[in-house]
Amino acid sequence: MQVARFLSGVAIAVVPAVLAAQGDATVIRGATIHPASGAPIRNGAILIQGGKITAIGSSVNAPAGARIIDATGKDIVPGFVDNHSHIGARPTDLNDSPMVVGPQHRILDALDLADPDFKDAISGGVTTIVTGPGSGENVSGMAIVIKTTGDGLADRLLLEKGGMKFAMGAKSRERYPTTTMGVAANLRQYLIKTQEYMAAQKKWADGDQKGTPPARDLGYEAMSDVLTHKTYVRAHVHSATDVMTLLRLKDEFGFDLTLHHSTEAYKLAPEIAKRGVSAVVLPLGPRIGVTDDALSGPATLWKAGVKVAMHTDAPVINQKWLRLCAAIVMRYGVPEEEALKMVTLNAAQIAHVADRVGSLEVGKDADLVIFDGAWYEPRSRVDMVFNSGKLAFERTKEGN
Amino acid sequence: MTILHVLRGRTALHLARTVSALGARRPGARFPRALALGALLLGAPTARAQDKAVAIRGGTVLPISGPAIPNGTVVMRGGKIVAVGANVSIPAGAEIVDARGKYVMPGVIDAATQIGLEATDQNEASDPVTPGLRAFESWNPFGTFGGGKPGPLRNKELLAGGVTTMYPSPADATIIGGQGFIAKNAGPNVEAMLVREIAAMDMTLGTPPKSAARARNRDPYTRMAEVAMIRAALIKAQEYVRNRAANPSLPRDLGNEALGKLLAREMPARIQANSATDIRSALRLAEEFNLQLIIDGGAAAYEFRDELARRKVPVVLGQVSHPYVSNEEIPDKQDYPPVDERLAGRLTAAGVTTAIASFARAFGTLAPAVSGKWLLLDASIAAGYGMADADVLKAVTLVPATILGIADRVGSLEVGKDADVIVLDGNPLSVKTWVERAYVNGELVHQR
Repeated sequence: MQVARFLSGVAIAVVPAVLAAQGDATVIRGATIHPASGAPIRNGAILIQGGKITAIGSSVNAPAGARIIDATGKDIVPGFVDNHSHIGARPTDLNDSPMVVGPQHRILDALDLADPDFKDAISGGVTTIVTGPGSGENVSGMAIVIKTTGDGLADRLLLEKGGMKFAMGAKSRERYPTTTMGVAANLRQYLIKTQEYMAAQKKWADGDQKGTPPARDLGYEAMSDVLTHKTYVRAHVHSATDVMTLLRLKDEFGFDLTLHHSTEAYKLAPEIAKRGVSAVVLPLGPRIGVTDDALSGPATLWKAGVKVAMHTDAPVINQKWLRLCAAIVMRYGVPEEEALKMVTLNAAQIAHVADRVGSLEVGKDADLVIFDGAWYEPRSRVDMVFNSGKLAFERTKEGN
Repeated sequence: MTILHVLRGRTALHLARTVSALGARRPGARFPRALALGALLLGAPTARAQDKAVAIRGGTVLPISGPAIPNGTVVMRGGKIVAVGANVSIPAGAEIVDARGKYVMPGVIDAATQIGLEATDQNEASDPVTPGLRAFESWNPFGTFGGGKPGPLRNKELLAGGVTTMYPSPADATIIGGQGFIAKNAGPNVEAMLVREIAAMDMTLGTPPKSAARARNRDPYTRMAEVAMIRAALIKAQEYVRNRAANPSLPRDLGNEALGKLLAREMPARIQANSATDIRSALRLAEEFNLQLIIDGGAAAYEFRDELARRKVPVVLGQVSHPYVSNEEIPDKQDYPPVDERLAGRLTAAGVTTAIASFARAFGTLAPAVSGKWLLLDASIAAGYGMADADVLKAVTLVPATILGIADRVGSLEVGKDADVIVLDGNPLSVKTWVERAYVNGELVHQR
């Protein structure tokens, strides 16, 4: 990489035209481009250089020597962003169940970059994911935002503090809390203790240093990131009761909140919209998809002004079918371009990585998917996937 | 439901059947008509309502048993299909359904589901070998499908996906779970919906039963034990049949009686087997005991395509969007071959009779309770992965009907078959398409 950069620097000085060839420029043209950030471009073109999108429009100037991909008649969309999944870790590493509140746990410490699930993801055009701890505890730890392909962790990691996982619902049958009110009280108590912890630490730091310094606690430290807006809450929630509890806790403690699964969130759409809270929904999931009301939920939320994204909860739903979630909400009244945003730009914005990914715009990572038909039709096939400008998946004759 | 309700439902059904039979012979007779009215008041299906002909006219008719008929017409009467074609005469007084611009096809058949079986009623987990059970006797299709609040007629969700016939069975936490049944997806009560009460012996190999048993610290702990226990149960049943034949006064045993029917090939063995190991074991057991085998799940079936085709063993595949046919929330990934959307097409091309089914579990387990609603959508994935459109539609209609042994009644639009017909507002293989109407036995049971 260093050598290549150096060489291209030399090329600039000598023959500017060589730059493109050295800079591995790729032009994809002829397709209908759905940038997610704006209206579709018929017969459009995209220029990729140095892993980024450097031009997009009805035509771009192809540098000499650029690789040209003819995508006439195809659909191009941004690489999909799955806002909520659990891949890259063993199922037995997702929930530290004995610790009901464990904000100090980080999925990063259980990450296996070679998990074959990443291959499934890229084959379905999913280029960026949020992956995190499970929902077996009231607080289960910190998620990350990561590319599904790339060279090593540093290259792939987009956000290390990718959100603190809360899980509503009484999960434990053996010990406290076993009820919905117990979960709420447990969360409130922990947030209060975190406030007290922060106050004690601040008092010491401000010079009031009597006795021994306050002991560090990794849990409260992690949760203080939530209360100081260094990260945000990703709350697993199904029932309207628990949605309301989360909104009330947010009002009480002022943290940034996103809802996940969000099965009955549609019942409280105005309350959610009023607070600027986002909802991430799993229409294909095991607990959802039961009634037409729930399947219309994303449309209801969207109409109320809530920012909505989709998720697969992979490996619960194979990540490659994230787009099927968008297709289903289209059936239930979300317009095509809005449905696309729910698996690209909205998902990236909710995950705090929209400066890098989620739409096809100049300066963003060249993450894109070429389909042989309408991107939302289950029968359309992924032809190619670019992730950070690199060809990360290509359909073979065998039809992989 | 009280005993009174049950009795009333059965009496009404009996009356309705009698009426229907009598009415067919003597349509003008007054006595049966009065009886029919009585049956109607008691809540039984009415033969009268179906006696009026319904003609679905002008749509693209996909009979499945033959090529598409543009601008075709389907005529139904008395619960049966009475005409299909481009130029059929419509009986005077028939109700006309304008299907111009729409598609008309047979109702979808879900060949594997637990729909209507509450989560606590799917597995008799107290015993890994329960061949005497009948899934029908746990069935509550009008309930909530597992926990939650009582809900109205959830079978309507499936009708909205075009599913008109299904095979519900015990789930997969036991090696021999019991007998699955075949039912229509609409009717005034469960008995009226029933097509065949004892349709197959439902069995499972692999992770689900051994993990359930391990959790209770008992056999089978391993795949070895699973197969050994099935083998032992079948041998015991052989002996039971032999001894009863020699001495009919020996006490009856329901489990052995059911396994006896299996051994006599009076019903097929539906063995859920996903890994190559499990499929191989299923094939070996079938050979050893001369079972009529159907493979459920079949994720690794491609490896066995030649043998499956040669031995005429059909495969009922799970949905690719819910790949793990298991009752574990996040199963042991190594135990299941990677998802391969090409599988349905490849097996079909290799000559294996292959259906696509939902394996819908109730709330709290992997495939959603109503995932059968999305069978056409899952089938369209197979179409994207190299399977011909005609074969894809067959894999959710005529093929499952054949596997279930009811192709003489359902699965295609042919004269004489049950009038299970759906009307769609677009190509059945597009995600944008909705089922606008569903008829079961000629009755309109879903309308969008």
